[in-house]
Amino acid sequence: MAMTCDRVRELASGFVLGALDPDEMAAVRDHLDHCRKPHQELAELGGILPYLAVAPEPVEPPTWLRGSVMAAVKADLHARPPAAKPAERRVLEPVAATTAASASPALPEATVISLHAALRSRNIRAVAWITRVAAAVAVIALAGYAFAVQGDLNKAKQDQSHLAAVMNVIGQSDTRTVSLIDNEGKGANGFAALRPNGHIIVNLNSLAVTHGDQIYMVWLTGANNVPVKVGAFTVGDDGKGWVEVQNVSTSASMWITVCREPNSNVTRPTGPTILSGTIAL
Amino acid sequence: MRQVAAGDTGGLETLYDRYHAMAYALALRITTETGLAEDVVQDSFLGVWRNAARYAEPKGSVRGWLLAIVRHRAIDAIRRQRVGVALGDQSDDALPASLTIPDIWPEVAGRLDAEQVRQALTALPPAQREVIELAYFDGLTQREIASHTNAPLGTVKSRMRLGLVALRQQLVGATDGRADMLALGAAASAGKKGLV
Repeated sequence: MAMTCDRVRELASGFVLGALDPDEMAAVRDHLDHCRKPHQELAELGGILPYLAVAPEPVEPPTWLRGSVMAAVKADLHARPPAAKPAERRVLEPVAATTAASASPALPEATVISLHAALRSRNIRAVAWITRVAAAVAVIALAGYAFAVQGDLNKAKQDQSHLAAVMNVIGQSDTRTVSLIDNEGKGANGFAALRPNGHIIVNLNSLAVTHGDQIYMVWLTGANNVPVKVGAFTVGDDGKGWVEVQNVSTSASMWITVCREPNSNVTRPTGPTILSGTIAL
Repeated sequence: MRQVAAGDTGGLETLYDRYHAMAYALALRITTETGLAEDVVQDSFLGVWRNAARYAEPKGSVRGWLLAIVRHRAIDAIRRQRVGVALGDQSDDALPASLTIPDIWPEVAGRLDAEQVRQALTALPPAQREVIELAYFDGLTQREIASHTNAPLGTVKSRMRLGLVALRQQLVGATDGRADMLALGAAASAGKKGLV
């Protein structure tokens, strides 16, 4: 049945308080969208609501909430599109740097210079001894260098792999993402991406280093309110964390929390919640 | 708000410092749980931050806009809690009616303080105050209020209407005595029917 102006006037008080049934709310909205007549009664009654909001006596929230709000705001600012490009460069730069470093002759050249200096010596035995030592030093240095380069390369490859996974998931039309909120106000940030098929990626930065058996655990809570483990990881000096899991069970709205747990044996969240957010599929 | 819309976090800090106690009080009144109220306040300020560009000054004060968001999210939180769904990111596409209706009496608002609002609420007949509080602070629909109070739905609707009209008259009267601003004739006739 079409909504008339008189009917809207009858429903005005329920409408402004949001207390009508959903179909009535929708019908009134629809009428207002198309009606050319003024509905002053809605403005007059609706104008009361902002003042009802100040009726409760002011209450001071905990002081940490300010830091938490501002950390969430800064994380949001950081996650905005213009900031995405620097993040991409951060991943790619190590590749360029390590590639250039591997081609650089800096360390071998230094070793060659010391060998030439040794060969100029008249004392052949000394030269031979120096040569052996220099060779040993060079081998050790090169091995260490190669190890470091390999480590950087592995890290860069890992970053690239993560980036590719993120791009792949985010590129799907049914993927939902959420910027996770830093609950401690210590600068941790990150996001989660979830698809209805249960493919989830959680990418985190600026986390505190884990010690001993400590781990970070990602929990997912669905409609049944039971937190389920998604994955766990430890964090090193780079402060980064990453979880990618297929086939997690999903529901219309999922609550994601990242907790720092004393060990991986926990069966429910026990440690502090570091980051959290919700994804609605 | 222009600062906030421009991405200046200092602007949001100023807003937080000015309104955090009001926002938290409202969230706590609605949710009745400190943890949930804290989540709502954080989520609301984040919502203000993300949607500052949508704030329309002619439609009301920053305070009114912020508190309407707090109420919207707090109601949403308790409704989710009732059905066992966690609080989370919310779309601002379906803002409450109070956010989309122009505030036509800012001159009144400027002279109202919280104590006058509390007095006006207290002055309402208890049955009218109850339905307004159940709708505003508990997020119940008229049908749910009828069930909650064991009153006929028609009675709930009348009490709500009369209560809002009376509240407005109280608030306007508290500032300049212009209690005749309303042209809502139904109030008197419904009152005569004993619906209050």
